[in-house]
Amino acid sequence: MKLNKITKAAICISLLSAFGCTDNFEEINTNDQGITPELLEQDFNHIKQGFGPIFNNIQVITANFEWVYQLQQNLNSDIWSGYMATPTGFAGGINNTTYSLVDGWNGFIWEYAYKNVMYNAVHIEDLSKGKFDQFYALSLILKVEGMHRLTDTFGPIIYSKYGELSPTEYDSQEEVYNQFFNELDIAVADLTQRVDDGDTGESTFKSTDLSGYKGKYKQWVKFANTLRLRLAMRIVKANPALAKIEAEKAVAHKFGVMQSNGDLFKIVSPVFTNPLATISGSWLDIRMGADMESIMGGYEDPRLEGYFDTSSQYPGEYKGVRTGIDIAAKADHQNFSGIGAPGKSNEIVLMTAAEAYFLRAEGALRGWDMGGDAKSLYEQGITVSFGQRDASGVVGYIADNVKTAKAYVDPKFPVNNSPAVNNVTVAWDEAATNEVKLQKIITQKWIAGFPEGQEAWSDYRRTGYPKLFPVLKNYSGGTISTELGVRRINFVQSEKDGNQGGVDSGIAKLGGSDNGGTRLWWDVDAPNF
Amino acid sequence: MKKIFLIFMIAFTAQVSLAQVKSIKGVITDSDGMPLPGASVAVQGGQKGATTDFDGLYTIEAQKGQTLVFTYVGLETQNILVGDATTINVKMGQAASNALNEVVVTSLGLKKTRKSLTYAAQELKGEELTRVRDANVINTIAGKIAGVAVTKSSGGTGGSTKVVIRGNSSVSNSQPLYVIDGIPMLNSGAGQPNDSFGSLSGGNRDGGDVISLVNPDDYEGMTVLKGAAASVLYGSQGANGVILLSSKKAKSGKANISASSVTTFEEAAYMPKFQTDYIAAPGADETWGAAGKTKDHVKDFFDVGTTQITSVGYSIGSENSSTAFSYANTSATGIVPGNSLKKNNFGIRQTAKFFNDKLIFAANANYTSQTIANKPVNGFYFNPLTGVYLMPRGNDFDYYKNNYEVFNPTRNLMAQNWMTNRDIMQNPYWAINRNKSEDKNDFFNGALSLTYKANNWLSIASRYSYNRVTSVFDKKIYATTQGTLSHTNGRYINENSLSTQRYGDLIATINAKFATDFTFNANIGASITNTLTNDKTILDSGISGGLNVSNWFTLHNFNNNTGNYQTIDSQREVQSVFAATTFGYKDMLFLDLSGRNDWSSTVPDSYFYPSVGLTALISEMTTLPEWINYGKVRGTYAQVGNDIYPFVTNPTYYATPGSSAINPKVGPRPGETLKPELKSEFEFGTEWRMFNNRLGFEISYYNSETKNQYLQVVAPVNDMGYDFFGINAGSIENKGFEVVLTGGIIRGDKFSWDTTVNFSQNKNKVKEIPTELGGRVNLTEAGVNSYRYALVEGKPYGVIEGINFKKDDQGRILLNDDGTIQKTEFEEVGNSNPDFMLGWSNSFKFGSFFANVLIDGRFGGDVMSLTEAQNDSFGVSKATGDARNAGGVAINAVRASDGTAVTTMDAKSYYTQVGGRAGITGEYVYDATNVSVREVSIGYNFSPKNLPFIQSASISLIARNLFFIYKDAPFDPNIALSTGQGLQGVDIYGLPSTRSIGLNLNVTF
Repeated sequence: MKLNKITKAAICISLLSAFGCTDNFEEINTNDQGITPELLEQDFNHIKQGFGPIFNNIQVITANFEWVYQLQQNLNSDIWSGYMATPTGFAGGINNTTYSLVDGWNGFIWEYAYKNVMYNAVHIEDLSKGKFDQFYALSLILKVEGMHRLTDTFGPIIYSKYGELSPTEYDSQEEVYNQFFNELDIAVADLTQRVDDGDTGESTFKSTDLSGYKGKYKQWVKFANTLRLRLAMRIVKANPALAKIEAEKAVAHKFGVMQSNGDLFKIVSPVFTNPLATISGSWLDIRMGADMESIMGGYEDPRLEGYFDTSSQYPGEYKGVRTGIDIAAKADHQNFSGIGAPGKSNEIVLMTAAEAYFLRAEGALRGWDMGGDAKSLYEQGITVSFGQRDASGVVGYIADNVKTAKAYVDPKFPVNNSPAVNNVTVAWDEAATNEVKLQKIITQKWIAGFPEGQEAWSDYRRTGYPKLFPVLKNYSGGTISTELGVRRINFVQSEKDGNQGGVDSGIAKLGGSDNGGTRLWWDVDAPNF
Repeated sequence: MKKIFLIFMIAFTAQVSLAQVKSIKGVITDSDGMPLPGASVAVQGGQKGATTDFDGLYTIEAQKGQTLVFTYVGLETQNILVGDATTINVKMGQAASNALNEVVVTSLGLKKTRKSLTYAAQELKGEELTRVRDANVINTIAGKIAGVAVTKSSGGTGGSTKVVIRGNSSVSNSQPLYVIDGIPMLNSGAGQPNDSFGSLSGGNRDGGDVISLVNPDDYEGMTVLKGAAASVLYGSQGANGVILLSSKKAKSGKANISASSVTTFEEAAYMPKFQTDYIAAPGADETWGAAGKTKDHVKDFFDVGTTQITSVGYSIGSENSSTAFSYANTSATGIVPGNSLKKNNFGIRQTAKFFNDKLIFAANANYTSQTIANKPVNGFYFNPLTGVYLMPRGNDFDYYKNNYEVFNPTRNLMAQNWMTNRDIMQNPYWAINRNKSEDKNDFFNGALSLTYKANNWLSIASRYSYNRVTSVFDKKIYATTQGTLSHTNGRYINENSLSTQRYGDLIATINAKFATDFTFNANIGASITNTLTNDKTILDSGISGGLNVSNWFTLHNFNNNTGNYQTIDSQREVQSVFAATTFGYKDMLFLDLSGRNDWSSTVPDSYFYPSVGLTALISEMTTLPEWINYGKVRGTYAQVGNDIYPFVTNPTYYATPGSSAINPKVGPRPGETLKPELKSEFEFGTEWRMFNNRLGFEISYYNSETKNQYLQVVAPVNDMGYDFFGINAGSIENKGFEVVLTGGIIRGDKFSWDTTVNFSQNKNKVKEIPTELGGRVNLTEAGVNSYRYALVEGKPYGVIEGINFKKDDQGRILLNDDGTIQKTEFEEVGNSNPDFMLGWSNSFKFGSFFANVLIDGRFGGDVMSLTEAQNDSFGVSKATGDARNAGGVAINAVRASDGTAVTTMDAKSYYTQVGGRAGITGEYVYDATNVSVREVSIGYNFSPKNLPFIQSASISLIARNLFFIYKDAPFDPNIALSTGQGLQGVDIYGLPSTRSIGLNLNVTF
């Protein structure tokens, strides 16, 4: 050691160095363009900085990364929900849309969820739990919001064992859902207490909050309650008892669930544009779905003109594209209707207030205490949705017991034509069966939720509604039924490369083959009632 | 002829030198009669000595009866008794034992006798670098040095080059160190692509390198030090081998002007093949429509490229000082329209001697300025080639060429005109003219050195150098460029990057003789290297952000600031002390001992590494048959430490555009201290020369292992928020043989034929990758393509992975009932490493005519072509046309459900599934073996007699990459998409390889 110092001194002297000696090594080895950990702790930025990536990656809404959103959601659930369709024959037309699941695409769903949402949520937990619990509480709500989409896509996922070394075991979907409920309990309790103590949260979280809530804890609690209601309803076929308990807990909370459009959960993106604007407006890779044309068109739904642009090929018309068709040329359908206002806005709505009403309506239908009867909640849901979309004529719409979905006509390729399949009217019919009532609720929920395909796809799998046009081309190699559609996405390549042991545990907990035809835990193959 | 020349020389010299009665003068020439500058003349036993000037002229005072000793490195020493004559002209032949006298420039620019070297060092003369010129000098060494793999980038003229010596040994960097006159040169480029799809930040572009900017005319030769032992004195930087360049020195006594001019013409060779029998359905992007004859427009797209290199040099020397100046101008146009290069090199070198030649001062400065317009990119974005290759057939390419933009009345601007709106295939002429890019590089290299000869056994030298490289990338993307690539109002990208290196050293050289039998040489010194690479400011108006006013390309027209940022690639300082010693016994046994200790700013602790080597000259130790002139065996063991990526041990928080996360990307794993990588290498070799040095060979065997590789593993959640932990793990082994065979097959007066064969075989193995990484490191991620490039434990470096057919036991392809093909997940489909490399160079002389031919072969290894795959899936390739003409693709397949054999498949169905960048890419893997006629030159040396004022002149016809003798792949496998570590062994719309033919003119006044 001493010798070392002598040698060091020797160099310094011998070089008569103008650069100093190793004393400035630390400075040299520090990236001037970075910020030091000490400076970052000011304003709690070391904790708050983790929220940005979560907000921006529940759906990837990062500038120049529109293609990730395209792979994360647009070319799977946005299409499988019937909302949209692509005119583009990606990979020779053999892809997700024709039930040949593309690993090279679907890996991004997993990657972006863990890299951004999960990673930062757990990091925030490390820095704030027990010290600055308000951040911990908020991070839990966002974590559940981000990660429920992942388990609803794949089934078993890495959750409780996240952060452990490979092989990292997967949790079963049931285990994941139980954790979701517990985490929402923690978050709701903490934030409610803070509101009770007079802390609105605005001073702490407003500058970091990219939702529309401006840091208000009360709003976040309402969102958490509605999220709990959504998750509760999801498991109604797998664990009806727990579903009822959790749903009633959500509604009974003193702040309750979302009631007005001011409560809806959205990501307000001050800088970035909506990825749908690029994918639809600029790339022409996504168009209105044929199911949207059939159902909303059939109802002459006043919200339609806000949802979509008219076709540039058929001026004045709203033309949808059917999914799962033979595509000879992109040009055949690329000038059908593009995505309208919801896809152009810088506000990306991830949960509408209308959804809360439709969830309560379904709960009421199931005999749960939802603070209202099914009919009134159903109609309030439609009314709130009309309000959200600035549409008029809601009274007449609700009362309409004549119009149903219309047949789909592909003006260029009659082979794609189909008679209407979702044949319910809008008006509530107290005399109808529960099944028909549920179909109406989910159909309206489906319309109200546009363009959030992830939730619509989950509802479709859980309830079978709204009924969608089946694909005409099924290249799943027999793994996915044309009638039932895609039930999940198989585990991703990066996990098979780096965590095969984990994938094996996931397959065991999935209880079926690792392909797109296997039903998830909550997707019970049984009647809705 | 030679006699005439001699007489001419004498007559000429007689005019300039006045006769002096007591002195003896004369001309020293080589066996060809060419004057030898710098040859020594001494009076035996006396103090007096002289050297010849540039014309080979000497003057020495001597008395009758004394013996004059004429010596010249590499030639046979002659003793001549002084008689009555006052003119003694000497013709010196090849030394019978020249191997004993050869001097090799080694580490730190120190000269050593070849016989004493304990490791492999291979030299190239300056003419090898300039004979068949390339705009990038390093491309001219391909095939000429055993164990050196040279791969050009697909960036065209002015592009960078990947040089790998003795195999890839590091995960992070395998490029050698370049050294000019003993001083390390900063070879930093502005970055390499590593995205198999293509970069949205202006395309997959080659950020260039510095070695491509130097002027080959400034150098008289190159030495390649291949192993760890040879490079131990350069430490970290030399871990992957060292390439030494020696500057031309001004010759004392005479002004000298030289000029050369090279003009070459390049044409695109080895392009994909296209079908002309089918057209696209109306509106379709892919050509799967009806039958219909079309024109193959691809060939016409490419221009004939030209390269014009003009260089002049001037030097003058006196006893005490010398000055040399050089200038070169390179002007080139590429084979892709709109691509051009302009380069200017300036060099000046000054030496001076003081205090009775005890103090020598030297200074040199080189400056290069280069501008490249539309440097070719690869991948799918911003690449005009995709539009050219994939254009739906049936459209009139010439129409879109002449009307790449048309007036758009709605926007009142000229808008792109193309039949489709696909990000991967814009109108190529729009891409060229309205997505124009410019790369500007400026390189300054200045060095000062001071050498003090204290006494006859000690000299002390100190040197300082400063390198500065600036790169500017500027891309103006006009409104109506495809929406994935640009905002609707256009987009502007401007990147400025600065790299600098400051180097200083102080070295004492000791040359001592103990008794008569023992010699001792030592170099003891200290050095400091401070490097900053790619301090960048990146301005990008972005795709969603974009420009406010259309096509106004300046910062304050940006809609937002999200794409603008500053970043630094690396910043480090390494301080070192080192000592290298050689003990010699009777000039037949040499022992090398050396050691170095580094203090690097990137790792917390200093580190030491030694080397030891032993050489025995068998030909001196024992009596061998007379036909053996020289025999030597050598062995060496060395270690080289390689510090790690900077900033890792001192992480700061940082956010990159595209991520709102502010966190350090990488930091050390808690409780671990990062160490340098450590490369250990054994090397054994033997060198023999025989039959009057007509035949020589050198064989080396080496075995190296690089441990403690710096790797990044995905970090579990941690307090600092690191995405990755930097760890020391992993080990890569390289072992192999090198053989250099030289032969003077014919040595006649009129005709001679010399040949050299370079053979090398490297076996590479990734011995260990930590389990956290699942035994693999993906150098290039697959992304959405079916190509991945990875290090996999137990496999050679650089496994190419893709997707294969799923087959049954009988090898039949499995089909689903819906007609789709079953495919595997990602698996190994090839390996990028060659099994062995062979270079065979020949030089012929026939009177005044000369000819050189270099055959270069690379055997084994694989490459993948996503270009072919994509061309197939778009129905434009010849294969798809042939298949349609034949009524389908013959396949050996079976329906998985019921075992029905299927022997043919519809061409469209087959190629849309198998082809494509995300298809069954195992079907697009080719043997990388290729043998090419790399260089040919045929020329004539003019007799100076016929050309007044001219000392020498030659003219030659030159050709590079003339043709392949053998090649399996549909493209030139010696071209890589990146000269970094990733994107190897694959072609994704890279620029086609070129064949160049031209004329080389050299004149010396």
